[in-house]
Amino acid sequence: MKKKLLLVDDEVEICEFLRSFFEDRDYNVATAHSGVQALDQVEKFGPNVVLLDIQMPEMDGLTALRKIKEKYPKTKVIMVTAVETQDRIEDAMRAGADNYITKPLSLEYLEKDVQEKIESLAGA
Amino acid sequence: MSGRSSGSVDKKIDYQQALRDVARSMVRLRKPDRLLKLIARFIDRQFGLRHTALLVHESSKQRYVFVDSKGTGRVPVGLIKFDADHPLIQWFSVSREKTPFHQDYLLLADIRKNLNKAHFRLAIRSRSDDLVKVQRTMGMLKVDLVIPGYFKNDLVGILMLGSKLSGKPFTMQEIFFFQTLAHDCSMAIKTSEYNQSLIEKNRELERRLTEIEKLRYKEQQTYYEIIRSLAEEVEAKEPSVYGHVSEVEKLGMMTARELGLDLAGRNKDILSAALLLHDVGKIGIPDNILTKPGHLTPEEWAVMKTHVEKGAKILEPLSDFKKVREIILSHHERFDGTGYPRRLKGEAIPIEARIVCVVDSFHAIVSNRCYREGRSIETAFLELESCAGTQFDPVVVDAFIRVLKKEMAEGNVTASSLQH
Repeated sequence: MKKKLLLVDDEVEICEFLRSFFEDRDYNVATAHSGVQALDQVEKFGPNVVLLDIQMPEMDGLTALRKIKEKYPKTKVIMVTAVETQDRIEDAMRAGADNYITKPLSLEYLEKDVQEKIESLAGA
Repeated sequence: MSGRSSGSVDKKIDYQQALRDVARSMVRLRKPDRLLKLIARFIDRQFGLRHTALLVHESSKQRYVFVDSKGTGRVPVGLIKFDADHPLIQWFSVSREKTPFHQDYLLLADIRKNLNKAHFRLAIRSRSDDLVKVQRTMGMLKVDLVIPGYFKNDLVGILMLGSKLSGKPFTMQEIFFFQTLAHDCSMAIKTSEYNQSLIEKNRELERRLTEIEKLRYKEQQTYYEIIRSLAEEVEAKEPSVYGHVSEVEKLGMMTARELGLDLAGRNKDILSAALLLHDVGKIGIPDNILTKPGHLTPEEWAVMKTHVEKGAKILEPLSDFKKVREIILSHHERFDGTGYPRRLKGEAIPIEARIVCVVDSFHAIVSNRCYREGRSIETAFLELESCAGTQFDPVVVDAFIRVLKKEMAEGNVTASSLQH
């Protein structure tokens, strides 16, 4: 199964760092820097997994999450954000997020989680 | 990039010395972040590396995070962390004896070389797995050289360096220099942490002291309230003098202000308490003497006079009222030195006591007593003036008469309120 990953973060540097990290691990990677761009890329690129930041201009991550899940319920979405409040986490989980990871994050954990999401799709 | 060093070795060593000096002098910085960033920038410019990063222990969260990262291989600061159990952290946290990497640095080139040797893999078996993970992490971060920084036995941070843009390997001299830097950085971080914890401890202590001070003050206030009610009891024993102390207090404060006494903060409370409590010792005087109409016998007078010492004694548990005690003890001293109990003279009598003496006497003259009618204010003024210099401090008498006349003219004080 093709490993297609969409990275969404308004900080270009973060997207580029993670792109390089995942490309080294044979992922096919696309990036987006806003909620609107993210929806657009989900449509065009068709990722298996989306890493989605919450605080972004244009459209925030939670709104983007709901829209993605509405249209592509099979796409796995992992929220990656610096904001860690119980409310936010619950909001995200209710909106259908498949996991919630806070920055700073462990790259090993992130890689493992993305891998697991891909495998769960392959098994389904 | 301009500013990158390609100059002589001598020049580079000068820089190194300068930086070492800077680092040492900045060890005392409260927040070491600036120093750490400065060092990262220096290395980045001076050595021309693909990546220069500083990983620092966050003791409150048991993890290591980047303080800075520079160069083409940089890591976004704040994105990633390494938990204490990460192989890279573990590698530098546990003993590396019996490995070829017992020194305080790790070169990617050395790892590759050694992992290729079968006998090495066998010799350190379990640790070779860790080393593979360390190698992978270094590759991921695009660093060729990692140098741990310790304080005592704690891993404070790791200096991470990517390969040189020139492609040349690191020299031992350079590695030694980086080790010095890593050590200095660790010192700076630990010193600042220590200072910070000292500051916090100090704050906590101060907070507790304030708390204790408050409690103590409250306790003293309670005691003061009790004494005040005792003073009222004293008055109640002599129904004819009811209201005397509050009048004395009012007149005394007035006089003190007229004299220009410093009444800021506690001073005002002290004088007020002394004026209110000046006769509190009368609690200890037998009723038959205290309320006796007519003259007292010499023996009875001797007992009566002890009320000043008794008053001072009652106030003893009030450490804040040391001054009040002194005033009460001295309020029957005379300006010419013939008063009691200590025969103090002139300026040796506290000014507050001299005030109490004048206003107390004045009020005794004008108010009605069980054994006589109160006399007129004018008569009282004349009597005060005639005793100025002997019984009373003339300056206080002057100020008192002046301010009372003024207050009466303005209608703030009336003859009837003084004489009731």
